[in-house]
Amino acid sequence: MKKRAMMLLALAAAMGMTFGTAAFAEEAKTETKTITVDGEELTVEVTDIGKQGTFTYWSAFTGDSQTWDQWRVDAFNEAYKDLGVQVEVQFVPDGAGVSNGKLLSAIAGGTAPDLVIIDDRVSAYQYAAEGCFTPLDDTLKDIGLNVDDFFAGMKDVMYYDDTCYLIPQDSNVIMLFYNPDIAKECGLDPENPPKTLDELNAWSEAMTVQADDGSYTRMGIIPWLDSGEDAFTIPYVFGVDPYDAETGKLNLTSDEMVGYMDWVSDYAEKYDAERINTFTSGMGGMFSPDHPFMTGKVGMTLTGNWFTNALKIYAPDVNYKVCAVPVPDYGRANCTAYGCNVFGIPAGTDNADLAALFIKFCMQGVINEDNFATWRSIPVIDSEFDNVSLTKNGDEIYALEREIANNPECGIPALCSVSSELSQEFQSLREQVIYNTDTDIPAALQTLQDKMQATMDAKQ
Amino acid sequence: MNSKTYKLKIWLNKAFMYVLLAAFAMIFLLPLFFLLMGSFKAESELFRVPFHWLPDHFNLDNYKRLFEQIPFFRYFKNTMVIVICNIVGSVISCSLTAYGFARLRWPGRDKVFILVLVTMVLPYQVTLIPLYLMYTKMKWVGTFLPLTVPCFFGNGFFIFLFRQFFVGIPKEMSEAARIDGCNEFGIYLKLVMPISKPVIASVCILAFTRSWNDFLGPLVFLGDDRLYTLSLAASMLKSPMNPNWAMLLTLGVVMVIPVFILFFVMQKYFIQGISMSGIKG
Amino acid sequence: MEKKKSKLRIREARNGLLFITPWIFGFLVFTLYPIVASLYYSLCNYSVIKAPVFIGLQNYKALFQDKVFLKTISNTLYMMCLGVPITTIIAVGVSVMLNHKKLNQTYTGIIRVLFFLPTLIPTVVACLLWIWVMQPDSGIVNQLLGYIGIKGPGWLSSPTWSKPSFILMIWTCGNAIIIYLAGLQDISETLYEAAELDGAGFIKKTFYVTIPLMKSTILYNVVTLIIGVLQWFAEPYIITSGGPDNSTMFYSLYLYNNAFSYFKMGYASAQAWIMLIFALLIILLLFKGFKFGQTDE
Repeated sequence: MKKRAMMLLALAAAMGMTFGTAAFAEEAKTETKTITVDGEELTVEVTDIGKQGTFTYWSAFTGDSQTWDQWRVDAFNEAYKDLGVQVEVQFVPDGAGVSNGKLLSAIAGGTAPDLVIIDDRVSAYQYAAEGCFTPLDDTLKDIGLNVDDFFAGMKDVMYYDDTCYLIPQDSNVIMLFYNPDIAKECGLDPENPPKTLDELNAWSEAMTVQADDGSYTRMGIIPWLDSGEDAFTIPYVFGVDPYDAETGKLNLTSDEMVGYMDWVSDYAEKYDAERINTFTSGMGGMFSPDHPFMTGKVGMTLTGNWFTNALKIYAPDVNYKVCAVPVPDYGRANCTAYGCNVFGIPAGTDNADLAALFIKFCMQGVINEDNFATWRSIPVIDSEFDNVSLTKNGDEIYALEREIANNPECGIPALCSVSSELSQEFQSLREQVIYNTDTDIPAALQTLQDKMQATMDAKQ
Repeated sequence: MNSKTYKLKIWLNKAFMYVLLAAFAMIFLLPLFFLLMGSFKAESELFRVPFHWLPDHFNLDNYKRLFEQIPFFRYFKNTMVIVICNIVGSVISCSLTAYGFARLRWPGRDKVFILVLVTMVLPYQVTLIPLYLMYTKMKWVGTFLPLTVPCFFGNGFFIFLFRQFFVGIPKEMSEAARIDGCNEFGIYLKLVMPISKPVIASVCILAFTRSWNDFLGPLVFLGDDRLYTLSLAASMLKSPMNPNWAMLLTLGVVMVIPVFILFFVMQKYFIQGISMSGIKG
Repeated sequence: MEKKKSKLRIREARNGLLFITPWIFGFLVFTLYPIVASLYYSLCNYSVIKAPVFIGLQNYKALFQDKVFLKTISNTLYMMCLGVPITTIIAVGVSVMLNHKKLNQTYTGIIRVLFFLPTLIPTVVACLLWIWVMQPDSGIVNQLLGYIGIKGPGWLSSPTWSKPSFILMIWTCGNAIIIYLAGLQDISETLYEAAELDGAGFIKKTFYVTIPLMKSTILYNVVTLIIGVLQWFAEPYIITSGGPDNSTMFYSLYLYNNAFSYFKMGYASAQAWIMLIFALLIILLLFKGFKFGQTDE
C-alpha cells in the first residue's frame, strides 16, 4: 500500500515536471531562422508561445517609413508562417488615429486593432494614462522580452503609474546642425562649435546678415524652428522639468523655464518675429529643398538625426556638421530629450501576446538596420549600437548620438494625463510670447500651470 | 451735351467695365493657371525664387508618378461610392419628402416645413459630436456608413429645391390622374418625376459637388487609408514629414478635371441649381 | 358628400405624412437627437472612453475664461465683419456690371463662366493651392505686388496678415455672383427706363433701383456667408492649423481640436451649443428680416 502510494507520488511528480517544462517551453521557445523577404536573406529570431492566430496592426507611418513598415510586416509573416501567427497591417495616418480620435473611437466601439505604432509619444502617453492600452508587464515576461536594459530615460514614456503600457521601437537624438562654410565665412571656427548658450548666441549674431531695408538675408539660429517648435524638447535640455510624476504636480514656472522663455523672447524682440517668419516661411518644412537650412537662410538649426537623411535627399551639396545642443549653465549639457515611436496594445484585445511577438520581432537589429541606417535613428539599448552598420563603419554622427543617448540625464519630459493638451497650450503660449514680446512671462506660465493642473486633477 | 461726346462717354464707360471685369476674371483665374502649370513642373522648379509662370519643360512625369506612387484609383473608387450613394439617396428621399410638402395638404404642413428650412442653415458642427459618439457605439466609425446612410433620409436644401419645382406643376394634372384611379405614389413616380428632370439634374450636380468636395466628414469618420477619399488623401499627402508638392498639385489638377467636365456639359443645371438657392422661399 | 370630402382629406394627410417619412426619421435621428444629446454632453466631463460625468455649467464657465476660445470668437467676428462685407461688395459689384444691358451678352456670358470656375475647385485643392499663392517668397500675390514695386508681407506666417490672406480666398465667390445675377434678372427693365428718364446714370441706377430691389437676396446671402464663416473648417485646418499665434484659430477648428485632438467631448459640445444659439438667432433674423419661409399659398 505504501509502495503504491510512493509510486503514484513519483509518477505525479514526474508528470508534473513534464507538464511543467512543457508549459515553460510553450511560454517562450525562441529559435533563429533564416527567411527570404523581397529576395533578401535575413536571419531572425522567432518565439513560439504555442498560440496561433491573426492580429491587426495600425501603423502611423507614411511615405518611406510606410514602405519600411510594410517590409517589416512581410518579414514577420514570413518568419511566423510555420507557427500560424500572422499580422494584418493598416496604415492609419495622423498618428495611427491617435491625433484625430479614430483610435479612441475604435476602442470605445470595440473595433480597435490589436497593436498600434504611434509616432507621437506625447499623445500616446495621454492615451495610456486614459486607460486605452493593455498593461504589458506580464505579457513581456511571457514572451521573454526584457526591457530592463532600455535607456533609463525611455522609462518615462513606457511606464504610467509603475505599469508598462508603451514600448519604444527606436529613438532619436536632438542636436545642433550647423553649416561649417557659413561659420568659416563669418570668422568662426567650425571645429569648435558652441557649447554654451552664450556661445550659441554669439555664433548666431555673427552669422546674421541684414539688408538695408531691415529684412534678413541670413540668420544664425531661430529658436522656434524644427525641434525648437516641439513643446518641451529644448526646454528640457535647458534644464526644465515641467512635470513631476512622483507628486503629480506641474512646474512651468521654474527659473530654468523662465530662462528658456526669455531666450526665445529676446530673439523675437531683437530680430522681429514677423520678419523672421516671413523670411523663413517655406512650403515644405523638414522634407523639402525649401528648408531654410538647405537654402542657406539659417546657418544653424536644432533638429533630430532624421534631418541628415533629409539633407542627403534634398540638399546633398549643403555642408553640415553636428554637435550637442548648447545649453545655459543651469542646463543639461550633452543631453537630449528622446524622440521615439512607441508600440501600444489597445485595451480589450484577446491577442495581446501575439501582438507582443511583433514588438519583440521589431526590436531585433536586423529588422531595424534599414531604419537606423537611413534615418540615423538609434536603438533603445546601448549594446545594440554595436550591431548597427553605422557603428561598424565608424560614422561620426552616430557615435555622437550614442554618446548623447547614454547621458543618464536624458529623458522624455512632460508626460502626464493631459500631455497632449499641455504641449499644445505651451506651444501656443510660446507663440504668444514670440509675437508679443511684452508678455509677462512668469505670470503667463503661472496661468497655464494652474489651468492644466486643474484639468489634470479633474481627471483623477 | 452733344451726341458725339455722349457716345464717347458711353464707349469709355463700356471699355472701362470690360477692362475691370477682365482684370478681375484674370486675377480669379491666376491660381488655377498656377495649379495647372505647377503640375508640369519638377519639384526643384517649384521651389525656385522668384518662380516662373511657365515650366521649363512641359513634362508629364508628375502624372505618371501620381498613378504609380499613390493608389489613386482606390481613392477615386472610394470617393465615387460615397458620391453615388449621395446622389441616389438625395434624389429619392428629397423628392419624396418634397412631394409630401408640395403636392399634398395636411395639418401643420407649413410649420413643419419651417423645420426643413432651419436644417438647411444649421451648421454641421452642431450635430457632429453626438453623431460621432452614436456612430462609435454602432461601430460605424471607420466605414462609409456615416457618409452614405444619412443622405437617404433627406437634406433640407435639396427638399427645398424639389419643393419649389413641384409647387409650380399645375394641380389639375394630379386631379386628372387621381380621377383615373392612380394612387399618390403612382402620380409621384409616373407623372411628377418625369417632368422634373431639370430639378433632378440640379440636385444631382449639387449632391455630386458636395460629396466630392467634402472634407470634414471623411476626416472625422474614415480611419485607415484604404477607405480614403481623394480630398482626404490630398490633405494627408501634405504631411509635414514629406509633402510631395509636385504630386499634390498634380492630384489637384486631376481632382478638378471631372468637376470642370461636368460643369461644361451641364452648365445650365449648375447655374440653375445655384440661382435657385438664393431665391427666397 | 361632406363625409366623402373629409375622408379624402384624411387620406391626403395620411399620404402626405407617408411621403415625408424618410425626412421625419432623418430629422429625429440625425438632427434632433444629436442636438438634445449635445446639450446633455455639454453639461458633462466626457472623454469617450469613460462614462460621462455630470458637472453642470462648468464647461460653459471654463469656455468664457479660455483665452483661446475668446480669441476664436474675435477671429470669427473679424471674418464676419470684414470678410463678409468685402465678399458681398465684390460679388454685387461684379454681378451688377455683368448685368449691364449695354455690354455684349456673349462676352459677359464668358466672363461669368470665368468667375464661376474657381468655385468648382474642391475645397482641399483650393486650400493647398492657397498655401502657394500666399507664400512670401515664391507666391503669386507677392510676385504680382513685386511687379508694381511693393514688397509683400509674410501673409500666412504673420499674425497680422494671416486673416487677410483668408479673406483673399473670396476668389471662390462665384456662387454668390450667380445668385445675384439671377436676382438682377428679375428686376423689371421698365424701372431702369423710368430712372433713366429722370436722368439717372449707371451709378445712380445701381444705388436707387438695383440695390433696394436686391435687398432680400443680399440679406439671404450675407446670412449664409455668416453661417459659412461659423462653419469654416477645412481652410484653417489645412492651411495654417490655426497659427501663427492662434490668429487663424476659427470657431469650428477649435471645436474640432477640443473634440478630436483632446477628446474633451463635453467642452466641445458646449461650444457646439453656443454655436447653435448663435445660428438660431441668425436664422430668426432671416425669418423676420424678409419673410423667409413664408410659403406662396
